[in-house]
Amino acid sequence: MSFAGLYLLMLKATLSSFSGLASLPILREDFVLKYHLLTDRQLNTALVIGRTTPGPKGLYIISLGYYSGGTPGAIAAWLALLTPALLVIPLLLLAGRKANHPRVRQVLNAIVLGSAGISLSATLPLAADAIHTTLGYVLAGGSLAVLLLREKLETVWVIAGAALITLAAALISRAM
Amino acid sequence: MGSADAPLSPKVPLGALAGVFLRIGNLTFGGGNPTVAALQRELVDNRKWLERTQFALCYALARMTPGTNLFAFDTAAGWLMGGWRGALLCVLVASIPCCLIVAILTAFFDLWSGQRLVAAAIDGALAASVGILLASFWFLVSPYIAKTTWVRSCVIVLLSIGLSFGAGLTPIAVLAVSALVGFFWKEPARE
Repeated sequence: MSFAGLYLLMLKATLSSFSGLASLPILREDFVLKYHLLTDRQLNTALVIGRTTPGPKGLYIISLGYYSGGTPGAIAAWLALLTPALLVIPLLLLAGRKANHPRVRQVLNAIVLGSAGISLSATLPLAADAIHTTLGYVLAGGSLAVLLLREKLETVWVIAGAALITLAAALISRAM
Repeated sequence: MGSADAPLSPKVPLGALAGVFLRIGNLTFGGGNPTVAALQRELVDNRKWLERTQFALCYALARMTPGTNLFAFDTAAGWLMGGWRGALLCVLVASIPCCLIVAILTAFFDLWSGQRLVAAAIDGALAASVGILLASFWFLVSPYIAKTTWVRSCVIVLLSIGLSFGAGLTPIAVLAVSALVGFFWKEPARE
């Protein structure tokens, strides 16, 4: 796919979401299901990479762009991330005083809730691709529990902990 | 709320502004919220380049802007402090290094992933990512689960799950339906 095509696909996702991971279902629909530019495993890997680096949670799109189109794909992803950010300036100029209007806020709150539901729907097929063993299910459930109990814990430590556990399990299995 | 007109403080040195966003935007883990908190401490409390009301306005409007809220916040705050140059400078220095890190990690990921032990570690990381996604769902929804709002919130979430998973509607269509429901179903006041 061309640079412009990748940029427009990713821009569609970033313009349609209001939080870091909310673009995931749209990207999966286009990149995995429709145009077969990625596999679910690559998408999952992009999520892991995006969560272990500094910066916003939506940076997994950079990985996704790299997998889809190499360096040009990553650049297209970066531009797709930046483009919607510029929309805040006309908002500042035109709508700053209306930002707290109750009707505007209730529509935006509903959109956030809708995107949460969509994200949960997209998690299920990703889980089917990522988890194949009992240990995998335990790690997924354990990660969820740890994050719910320790909200301030950074996800990079959860990922590192899970990786160390499976690494240890592989070493033990190899030694036996 | 504070004014959103011409830049608040046109004399904010652009070099120092770039340094703040370069450091905080690329060395803070945990996503947008910790980064914004660190920026508030620096821009409002320490350097007084922004008033608290201006900062709050940037934060609120960034949440309403599609895409990455943090980059929208960087753009808004940069605009208030330095006009168009400030806006572009802040968002570029806050985005390029961390995006480069992601791209480099992605490039080397495939080289490492072929090794058996590395593949085992990656499997664990991927399993953890499923838990993280589920936790993200809860953190996204939980602010809207209050005594008077939980019914509305649950209906919208379940509707969106049903439409996307059951009916197979595209995410954009589901979001449009959510917006319509939100427009007509008045949000109850929180107690």
